[in-house]
Amino acid sequence: MHSSIRPHQFVAVQLPSEQTRLVKLVPNTIVNLGKYGSFSSNQVIGRPFYLTFEILDTPESDGYGLRVVSATELHAETLIEEAEADGEGDDAEAGDGTPMRTNREIVDDASTQRLTLEEIEELKREASGAGKDIVAKLLESHSALDQKTAFSLAKYTLRKRKKYIRRFTILPLDVSLLVNYSLQERDAGRTMELRDEHIGLLGCLANVHHGGQVAMDVIPDVKPNGRYMVVDETGGLIVAAMAERMGILYPRDEEDLDSEEQLTPSEGNEQPTDASGAAPKPYRRVRPRPMSASGNTITVIHAYSQPNLSLLKYFGYDTNNPDESHPLHTNLKSVSWLQLVNPENDPILSAEPPTLPAQELAELKSSKRTAYFFKRNRWERVKNVVNETREGDFDGLVVATLLEPATVFKHLVPRLAGSAPVAMYSPSAEPLVELMDLYSTGRRTAFINKKRELEAQKSSEDDEVDLSSLYEEFELDPTLLLPPTLHTSRVRAWQVLPGRTHPLMTGRGGAEGYLFHGVRVIPTTDHIQAAGTFRKRRKTAASTPTTDQDVEMAT
Amino acid sequence: MPSPFLTPGSSAGPDNIALLHLRRDQTIPTILRTYDDQNLGYKEGKVSNTRFGSFPHSTLIGQPWGSQIPASKVDTGSRGRKGPTKRKAEELDTPGTTTGAEDDTSSLKTPVAAGSGFLHLMYPTPESWTLSLPHRTQVVYTPDYSYILHRLRARAGGTVIEAGAGSGSFTHAAVRAVFNGYPQEQLANKKQRLGKVCSFEFHEQRAAAVRQEISDHGLNGLVEVTHRDVYEDGFLLGDPKTGKSPKANAIFLDLPAPWLALKHLVRRPASGAESPLDPGSTAYLCTFSPCLEQAERTIRIMRQLSWLNISMVEVNHNRIDVKRERIGLDCEGIRGATVYPRTVEEAVVKLQEDDQRAKRLRQAHYDGKENDPEIQEFKARASKDSSAQTSSAPSYSQGRLIHRSEPELKTHTSYLVFAVLPREWTEDDEQKCRQQWPSQKLDAPEPKSGKSRRQAKREAKERCLQEVKAEEQEQPAEEKNEA
Repeated sequence: MHSSIRPHQFVAVQLPSEQTRLVKLVPNTIVNLGKYGSFSSNQVIGRPFYLTFEILDTPESDGYGLRVVSATELHAETLIEEAEADGEGDDAEAGDGTPMRTNREIVDDASTQRLTLEEIEELKREASGAGKDIVAKLLESHSALDQKTAFSLAKYTLRKRKKYIRRFTILPLDVSLLVNYSLQERDAGRTMELRDEHIGLLGCLANVHHGGQVAMDVIPDVKPNGRYMVVDETGGLIVAAMAERMGILYPRDEEDLDSEEQLTPSEGNEQPTDASGAAPKPYRRVRPRPMSASGNTITVIHAYSQPNLSLLKYFGYDTNNPDESHPLHTNLKSVSWLQLVNPENDPILSAEPPTLPAQELAELKSSKRTAYFFKRNRWERVKNVVNETREGDFDGLVVATLLEPATVFKHLVPRLAGSAPVAMYSPSAEPLVELMDLYSTGRRTAFINKKRELEAQKSSEDDEVDLSSLYEEFELDPTLLLPPTLHTSRVRAWQVLPGRTHPLMTGRGGAEGYLFHGVRVIPTTDHIQAAGTFRKRRKTAASTPTTDQDVEMAT
Repeated sequence: MPSPFLTPGSSAGPDNIALLHLRRDQTIPTILRTYDDQNLGYKEGKVSNTRFGSFPHSTLIGQPWGSQIPASKVDTGSRGRKGPTKRKAEELDTPGTTTGAEDDTSSLKTPVAAGSGFLHLMYPTPESWTLSLPHRTQVVYTPDYSYILHRLRARAGGTVIEAGAGSGSFTHAAVRAVFNGYPQEQLANKKQRLGKVCSFEFHEQRAAAVRQEISDHGLNGLVEVTHRDVYEDGFLLGDPKTGKSPKANAIFLDLPAPWLALKHLVRRPASGAESPLDPGSTAYLCTFSPCLEQAERTIRIMRQLSWLNISMVEVNHNRIDVKRERIGLDCEGIRGATVYPRTVEEAVVKLQEDDQRAKRLRQAHYDGKENDPEIQEFKARASKDSSAQTSSAPSYSQGRLIHRSEPELKTHTSYLVFAVLPREWTEDDEQKCRQQWPSQKLDAPEPKSGKSRRQAKREAKERCLQEVKAEEQEQPAEEKNEA
């Protein structure tokens, strides 16, 4: 998947300044890195990821202008320091011999650097050695260098190197990298300030994983596996993260599947049956129908007429012009809230295009015929996806949305299979705290009691119980999720250097990020009294049935 | 046999693991049996006893996952006390030798509902297993392993090495991450690599316990457990010297001295043995050490062995309690509520009332009417009366919604050290690559004068689609105008 750099693929170029750029590597072009120089895409395509390249001043005879910087060279300073520390042993700490250097004498102004700005500019134009010379000259011309402690010297060198050294590293563009990129380089609010730890936890709590192979579906009595619902308002980041976990994010390449025939996705791309009675021309080759997979799928539910999944473009899937060989083409489905809640009012669903007899069809102009098939296929596709979504039985629900959580849960939680998990992310605690309250023990008990009361009121056995007043009081059914839990997680990074290990001094503030987790359960219709250890005090007041409390929710 | 961890299906089947969810953080794992596998002598067959009642497995098997299951009346007293008598929770999961009761499965008594007590029947997930597994060693919990697996790029089809299988928590999470099909299905699609976890454990009993769990959980073939001291003998499967390489893309070391194992995790081991790493991909490594010294030492060795992008982090995770905080003078007798004026106004009213009350009582005292029934009644009533106006809202929505960390925090689990090792890249590879992608070839003329057939076709189609869309957009546009 990510063994080597491929042409026409997005990669991340990391610069000495620790900036990251996302670049699409088109063969035979130049990639410009601003002040750090430029390189030809052909000089990195085919090479492994994670190599650090140095831009040479004079290319080799065959025009190759880069040099791979070895790991030893990258770690050189630390390795030397470590080796020295070993040699000196405890003496260095005892401080005898050379006096310990401190920052007492240092004057904090720019006068210590004797090179003027013009001179530095001059150097930059002339200097060779990919900027190493400049750094060396700067260090040479620093008047107070000998006053610096080893640590501040290291810091100074590092700062200068970041500024001038002409190196870059190519990293594979995956979800983790995109998360950090969105957080640091872009408007973090657009991805709801999601961090790596959230993405990892969200996927685990929602139990998102590959649903297995087709062969599983062949065994009777086994429902299709790995069907997940996603509500994603992060521009597709959540969808990408879930798709990555399910093995459907990256385009298939030759390493995974070697032969051409297998390029058609293995999951559920059955040739559509002649439902329309049309399709006079046989297909030349098996073309996977969009959204046709039955298992290992993501169903996105979106608020506008199209879902915003623009970040998927970095993984070779452009929603406007989808690549048919990409796994998401068949395994990513989308349904709008309108289609889910009020399918009869949906403009596409409610207007079934009339079927034309084959003969009439043959007489149409080719563009009209294409239009006919387009409309017909789209209607069928939407109908199938909406029907299967409304039927439910999903294996998990992942939510990161601006919508009111309760309204999302009201419609989606009932569509989960029993024991399927729900995980919702929110940048701030309040929406999830309110959601937790909607599933509180008190509310659950009140709900059960009221429901029982209403059921007791019904006149005859056949009568449908009128539960409308129940749902007026309770926005969502609190008995469908157990045990609602709220998490927060934050990763703290450390600097580890010989004798200088400590947590990083600064970090990112902003949203803390919270996760809600629960599991869908199927309450019995029978009347069950809770059992177990009651507190004495409550036992006396047990005239009202304190159903569920102790068993389910007491924490 | 499909594993309920990965492909649970829609209902609980016999001989599969299921989790009996009693309440938050109280879940009992059990293997569902149609017969009394431990020969405990229940008339109903195998029974799980919990503090919320007894649950014969015949009431669980075949039920949809997630169902609420009522307890049954089980005669626990008079059953014949033959066979093992210890009934600790952990004993209940380990399937004992099955004899005796197996023959008379048909003659099992139909359980009778107990009328109170229930549980929820859940399929296992690595998360719920982590919370309910029998502890053998320190467990790697969900917040840590979720982040680790994400950073290790453990994805469908990958291979993970895990050293220090321990209690098997990480093992289950890792196998879910790499799972993309069961091995027996490989025939159908030979080309695709199937995800696998290679787990190493140097403690023999623990290794055996993990192996047994893997088999009970239907994960055979997806997890390979090896009893091995990896410091000495490395990570090859089978024989330590000549064995097969697992070809791992991701490595997780939960060992006391990870630096001792690192020498085996190189592209060309000094011993001349095969590398356990996948030669065709980047290797991602994570070590898990509770102490800073361990982490520092590990990082030193990593630098010497050319690992890159070395970073160390710790994960801070909290669970948060949400509750309603009720304060007010009307909260007398309500559990968890504080009796105290809610507002300044309430306090003022209360002060005035108290003053008046005191005055009236004093007056009564002077007048010598203390023992009047009227005054007695007034005395008794007074304190409660002060804020009699109880809110009409239901009790579950009263008070202020608050959240706070759960009382017990895990403030430190371990230091996680991450590093990557790029593919090996030789001069030969480089030369080949340069031939394929000539360095000097630049700005090739715009591809082809005439468009390829496919391209032309696609464009034609797009034009057509646009027509259709334009046609349709007219309608919504009109609607919008109206709105």
